[in-house]
Amino acid sequence: MYALDDVDLEVFSGEFLTLLGPSGSGKTTLLMAIAGFNRPDSGSIRFGDTEMILTPPHKRDVGMVFQSYALFPHMTVAENIGFPLKLRKVNSAETAERVTEALATVQLTGLGDRKIDQLSGGQRQRVALARAFVFRPRILLMDEPLSALDKKLREQMQIELKQLHRQLGVTTVYVTHDQREALTMSDRIAIINHGKLAQVDTPQAIYNRPSNSFVADFIGESTILPLTLDTQERLLFEEQLVLDHLPEAFSKDNSRDWSLVVRPERISLNADSQRSENDCLVFRGEVKEFVYQGETALALVKVGKDYDISVRLGTNAASSQTMMKPGDEVNLSLSRDDVIVIPQEKTP
Amino acid sequence: MKQFAKSTLKVPSVLLVAGMTFTAGAALAEPITVVSWGGSYGAAQDAALFNDASKNSGIEITRESGASMSKTCLQVESGAVTWDLVVTGSGGAASAAAKGCLEKIDYSVVDVSDFYDNLYTDYCVGSDVFATVMSWNTDKYGEPGSPGAPQSWADFWDVEKFPGTRAYRANNVDGALEPALMADGVPADQVYEVLSTEEGMKRAINKIRELKPHIAVFWDSGAMQAQLMKDGEVDMSTGWNGRFDNAKKDGAKVGYTFDQALLDYDCFAMPKGAPNKDVAMKFLAEVSKPEYQANLPFHITYGPTNKKAYELTTAPKELIESLPSHPNNVPKMLPVSLDWYAKNRTKALELYMELLSE
Amino acid sequence: MHQEPRDNQLNVEPLRAQEVREQWKLLSLASPALLVIVAIILIPVTWLFYLSFVGGDGQFSLEHYRKMIEYKSYSRTFITTFKVSILTTLICILIGYPLAYFLALLPQRLAGLFMLAVLLPFWTSLLVRTYAWLVLLQRKGILNDFAMQIGLWDSPVKLVHNMTGTLIGMAHIMLPFLVLPLYSAMKKIERDMMHAASNLGASPTYAFWKVYFPLSLSGLVAGSLIVFVLCLGFYVTPAVLGGGRVVMVSTQITAILENQFNWGAASALGVVLLLATLLILYLASRLFKLDAVLFGKD
Repeated sequence: MYALDDVDLEVFSGEFLTLLGPSGSGKTTLLMAIAGFNRPDSGSIRFGDTEMILTPPHKRDVGMVFQSYALFPHMTVAENIGFPLKLRKVNSAETAERVTEALATVQLTGLGDRKIDQLSGGQRQRVALARAFVFRPRILLMDEPLSALDKKLREQMQIELKQLHRQLGVTTVYVTHDQREALTMSDRIAIINHGKLAQVDTPQAIYNRPSNSFVADFIGESTILPLTLDTQERLLFEEQLVLDHLPEAFSKDNSRDWSLVVRPERISLNADSQRSENDCLVFRGEVKEFVYQGETALALVKVGKDYDISVRLGTNAASSQTMMKPGDEVNLSLSRDDVIVIPQEKTP
Repeated sequence: MKQFAKSTLKVPSVLLVAGMTFTAGAALAEPITVVSWGGSYGAAQDAALFNDASKNSGIEITRESGASMSKTCLQVESGAVTWDLVVTGSGGAASAAAKGCLEKIDYSVVDVSDFYDNLYTDYCVGSDVFATVMSWNTDKYGEPGSPGAPQSWADFWDVEKFPGTRAYRANNVDGALEPALMADGVPADQVYEVLSTEEGMKRAINKIRELKPHIAVFWDSGAMQAQLMKDGEVDMSTGWNGRFDNAKKDGAKVGYTFDQALLDYDCFAMPKGAPNKDVAMKFLAEVSKPEYQANLPFHITYGPTNKKAYELTTAPKELIESLPSHPNNVPKMLPVSLDWYAKNRTKALELYMELLSE
Repeated sequence: MHQEPRDNQLNVEPLRAQEVREQWKLLSLASPALLVIVAIILIPVTWLFYLSFVGGDGQFSLEHYRKMIEYKSYSRTFITTFKVSILTTLICILIGYPLAYFLALLPQRLAGLFMLAVLLPFWTSLLVRTYAWLVLLQRKGILNDFAMQIGLWDSPVKLVHNMTGTLIGMAHIMLPFLVLPLYSAMKKIERDMMHAASNLGASPTYAFWKVYFPLSLSGLVAGSLIVFVLCLGFYVTPAVLGGGRVVMVSTQITAILENQFNWGAASALGVVLLLATLLILYLASRLFKLDAVLFGKD
């Protein structure tokens, strides 16, 4: 368990928020704190205007899907799903109705009488889900719920979960260490590292405008290149101008080092070394490695004084230009819109 | 290892029990296995009889504890006899003999010419005479013979005059019914006559049932009788006189009386098919000699079965007079009837077990 | 194309033969174990059955069984035996369940240490432990002395040589047999189970009774059955601590053997005890899924 340090996070009503971070970053600790299974030494957890920090877990009215599913093996599917309703003194007719409805929602109609050990992994996942939302909790928490499923089923469930969220409209906090899952499903992503929030934003913003090198490195593929700051507060890479001013938030802070984040798929391959209007940077480099990967191909190109840039290229059956071999000379360019500049972490 | 084995041979008795596995290699002849009971009884026999008899006869013995006629019969029936001589109560020997578990004693080897007539049979040779007595805590009820001290089985049953807890025999009917009848007013010489009918047995059982609420413990061994009195766990108990004397030597506040006690004897029997039958018979002849029995009273207050032992013993007069078989004491007691036990033991035990299981 | 199916079937016969051979080989691997079982269990039990039907005259007879009906002592000792066994099991459950629960909550290393304390009785001589209780509990024993000294009671309380002492001693000896399977069942309950229950709105008490307890039940049933069955045949402790007032079947078997050398009667008692035990196991298997409990199936 990782200690949380000064995490200030607001979850909007009805949104799908993902806590993303490497293992041990504290994301599960945060989820457990929301559920009430651990109590922060200081700070506050509010649902709306209600302070919940001292409320025991069973009075929080929070639904949770556990990584292990934690289905009760001595009860049937219907009994599992009916468990929270029984505790809320819902009468048996309504319980039956709501259980049936929940089963239909997770596409398990007719499996209510099954024992848990008669279900497949995917089915168990759905039961766990149905049990977590059937009592209409204020928040739905999910702790890496798809990690036990195989890739194909996982991707299918990601879409289904997303649809379900839209259908139920319940505020959802989702924990994963899988960035693709986070990007696929979330309204917003909160990236956590070493118990601190690294960035909270929409998937697009996180991907396109990472605010620090951890986020840039953790989300997607990237090549990080060092920039130099000249006397006019302009940022340069190998003599080429990248930005003519410091990003606003940092404009007064010129004691930092700056980096350029280059996404491999944003690099274009050009026939000649001409700079077009939109180009910010142009390079000529030598192909060091070329890997064909099906829908894309990845090239490692050496530019300037020994910087390696990853370049991702689309493939199609006709194009011959996408086929390269080590030693080829190529022309690359990066458009102005795709420039991502981030400050280096201060190292005290 | 050899060294150790030899040294254990020179020091028989208790050590031999531990060293028995080593003796085989070092000995010329097979040692014979002699089985007795635990507690002060076996220790007394070692000290008075076995050690010296072994030394003088040159017959090596292996001593074991846990003698029992049922185990003897089991060995005989399963054809795996390892015991040569087994100590038993007279009644047990009679039953085992009736089942065919015992060898006949060869009286051309064992000399019983000086024995009391009724202390040897075809299948067993008396080793000592003991009495089943009633004992009591002397702190509580006074020294034996002092005014107010218990004198009869009636007193044992009288919980108003002698308030306190009692101990009685468990899971074995030997010596259990006779005291009850005497307490119920049957004269000693008519006890077995009364007991020979089922009504008589039931009369005795009912009398014990009357006392049962006050019987705190049922004992199932001589060692337990001594322990109960030593620990003060009960205030009065039935039991064997020698055990109580030894408990007293150990500091227990215990006394007993021979009045109305049951006179009985222990004996040596030989399992049928004993592995060292001839040597064992010679050893039996040796331990039955009066010079060994003469030493027994020093270790436990059980009387000799060989009359000559009284002449040879160097024991002080008081000690001799405290033996159950002393002519002064015998008339006070009721000799146990082996006949009655042979005929009624099974039935009596069933009835007694009914009472115990209530 | 048309001949191929025939060709494909060619392997079937030899393969089947090979399979049968392999199965026999596997069986022969188990044969030493089977032989041991036959030698140490089946033969003696068969012998026991046989003996129980042989009368004093060596002929077939029902006399031993008839006697068990004729004398009340037999039914009484059976009742006592079952009473002692049931009570001991209940005491073990009452003490053992919280104990195992506590152990399951402890971190591994600490749990190991406590488990050592629970298991200690296993490695001490049964007789020593039993007599130790005698020393503690008797009329002028340590406990009575102490209680009277601090004024807890005025005259010695009868703690031993009766049912109380027997149950104390038995429970002490049997406790590990209950705690071990129970502990292992509890260790298998994931922490998330209780979290899930509480998350769904169950108070700690409700979560315990509706989730934790049912999930630990298999271990509890296994442990209780082991304790119960072991108690049925127990001899030393009731004999020493019962003071002759707690007459169990084992006590009676000893009495019959020691006094009558009557193997038939003793065997008949053994047979009835065995059958009664089997009957109880059968009834228990109707109530609980015993194979799951005893062989760890899910």
